[in-house]
Amino acid sequence: MEQQRKIKVLMAKPGLDGHDRGAKVLAFGLRDQGMEVIYTGRRQSAQQIVNSALQEDVDVVGLSCLSGAHLTFFPKVVDMLRENGADDMLVIGGGIIPDEHIPILKEKGVTEIFGPGTLLKDIGDFIRENVRKET
Amino acid sequence: MDKNEKLNNIKKKKAEWEEKVLIPAAKRFGMEKRPTKFHTPLDIEGFDFERDVGFPGQYPFTAATYPVNLVPRIQKGAKPGGLKRASQYSGYGTAEDTRDYYKLMANLSWTGGPNLALDLPTQCGYDSDNEMVEGEVGKVGVAIDTLRDFEVIFEAFTGDQDLDKIATNITINASVGIMIAMYIALAEKRGIPMAQLKGTPQNDILKEFVSRGTYIYPPKPSMRLFRDCVVFFTENLPGINITSIGGYHIREGGATRVQELAYSMAIGIAYLQEGVNAGVDIDAFAPKFTFNAFGGSMEFFKEIAFQRAARRMWARILKERFGAKKKDSMRIRMPLSAHIGCGATTKQRALNNLTRSVVGAIAAVLSGGSPMAFPPYDEPMGLGWSLEARQLAEDATRIIMYETGMCDVIDPLAGSYYVESLTNEIEEAAWKELEKVEEMGGAVPAIETGYMQRESAKSAAERQARIERREDLIVGVNCFTEEYELDVTTSKIVEHPYSEEKRYEAEKRQKANLAEVKRTRNNREVTRLLKELEKAAKKEDVNLMPFFINLAKEYATLQEQCDVLRGVFGEWQLDTFV
Repeated sequence: MEQQRKIKVLMAKPGLDGHDRGAKVLAFGLRDQGMEVIYTGRRQSAQQIVNSALQEDVDVVGLSCLSGAHLTFFPKVVDMLRENGADDMLVIGGGIIPDEHIPILKEKGVTEIFGPGTLLKDIGDFIRENVRKET
Repeated sequence: MDKNEKLNNIKKKKAEWEEKVLIPAAKRFGMEKRPTKFHTPLDIEGFDFERDVGFPGQYPFTAATYPVNLVPRIQKGAKPGGLKRASQYSGYGTAEDTRDYYKLMANLSWTGGPNLALDLPTQCGYDSDNEMVEGEVGKVGVAIDTLRDFEVIFEAFTGDQDLDKIATNITINASVGIMIAMYIALAEKRGIPMAQLKGTPQNDILKEFVSRGTYIYPPKPSMRLFRDCVVFFTENLPGINITSIGGYHIREGGATRVQELAYSMAIGIAYLQEGVNAGVDIDAFAPKFTFNAFGGSMEFFKEIAFQRAARRMWARILKERFGAKKKDSMRIRMPLSAHIGCGATTKQRALNNLTRSVVGAIAAVLSGGSPMAFPPYDEPMGLGWSLEARQLAEDATRIIMYETGMCDVIDPLAGSYYVESLTNEIEEAAWKELEKVEEMGGAVPAIETGYMQRESAKSAAERQARIERREDLIVGVNCFTEEYELDVTTSKIVEHPYSEEKRYEAEKRQKANLAEVKRTRNNREVTRLLKELEKAAKKEDVNLMPFFINLAKEYATLQEQCDVLRGVFGEWQLDTFV
């Protein structure tokens, strides 16, 4: 029987924000749901995140930011991924994101924003439904 | 009947009551797995009031840090808890923005020194013109690049609010020496000797490795910088506290109550040891240790017991381990007592956070502290609290303080079978975890190997798993979320003094400020002093504070100094630990 490839996720902390509880909890939680998760650690530049995503050929890039720098970092990561031909990588975000910023981020290519209180199960379901399909 | 006989009698009667009364009742209501608990003298066998509790303000400080619960007289500008500050944790954009904010707050009769929030580039040792930090300048706090920025901010503090009259708090951990040096240089320019300065830098670098993350150098050289502060502050800055230890961040980062207590005590011990190793008398510097807050949660009685256990544990460590003799060395001085923790607040139906914070404020009074409804209800909504939420939090505190009579009595649960046994339980568990850390060699090795980070992350994941399984309930998040529940929202009526437009412009303005400083200062002298700093940093026993002061006076930037130290100390390899 052909073994199905696990969904591969890169959890990343762009910028100087050190609040990594959410990113780590998500890394544990998605792993428990059978995904392969790589966590970058803190203080990653957009370039570093994109390099890791391409190198590892992940299906999903999860960006976590609680410092208010999301409008700078999230679109930057999306743009750089697109420039490198990774159009089909799913980019999702989380952290302290004011509601009024969510449409801006979506317009710039972040597929979904998950705020505080979101259940891991819901994030997992979202990923499974929206991730790129086998090619 | 003697005491033992009495206890045996209670034991017998308790067993009877459980079998014949409690269990049948619990069964009737489907609660046999978790029957309501009841506590008796059996839970605190051997309880000794003087040894275990003591009088408020007396060793072992279980009852309270001080003999009175301070209720400020009602006057204009009085803040609950007796603290008068220009503001809560605040700092916005450029130095000009922050100065203007404090001037505005002064008009609203918020006087006293600032509690400065710094932006992340400053906290992590980068200048505003560094490409790497684009998008982060002036966010979550004010940007400080050079002495010039302090000069501008403190234009809001002159006359009867001058530097020798106010106390300034600065949330800085990795670059405390450099920041305090800038403050000293500013005072000197105003003709105020450093011995008259008052304030508190956070200076709790070890917890930054466990959570929060604003470290620069590895733990060991970071501790050398801490030692320099202990020695220099003790000799020259009697009004500046050495550290403000925070278990709060460790708990918010995921640690359990017991882990937090054990880790923050281990960290405190490591700091104390630095001073002792440097030959400073424990009673000369331990009284200048403060705590900013421990963590909190919605578990009301456990948080009350936790505060009592923490006070007793710290006092025992100081007295028994470090041989402190002064009472002031053994006290936990801390503005915040029990509270719910920001992690307990929800973005969903956020006004509920006001109710939650009131629960925390009541826990604070019952734990032997001052009430403070914290945080304001809109904490999880975004950056920058609304003034409405702040007003409601203040009012909640005032209602408890002035309407309920709760502050007329201190540690009212002393002697409670339940609370005393819970206090013992928490303290014992924390000692056990602390021993584990000490077997690893103490806080520094336990951080270098990632032990504290890993354990905290595991606990965070476990908590989330309990939420997902609905073992831990959060109203509006994992229960009571049906569509017929009303989604209550609130709107801001009073505009925040720091406007959106200013926020977006801040980075550009700050870069221009820095460029101007670099153009007009004596660059040759800066270079010379940086070389001196490098030489000094290479010698472990040299105190770097005087070098930072000389550099501050010449308008050396934060990053210029941090880069020199990065070269000597190295940078902490960023942890992943998942």
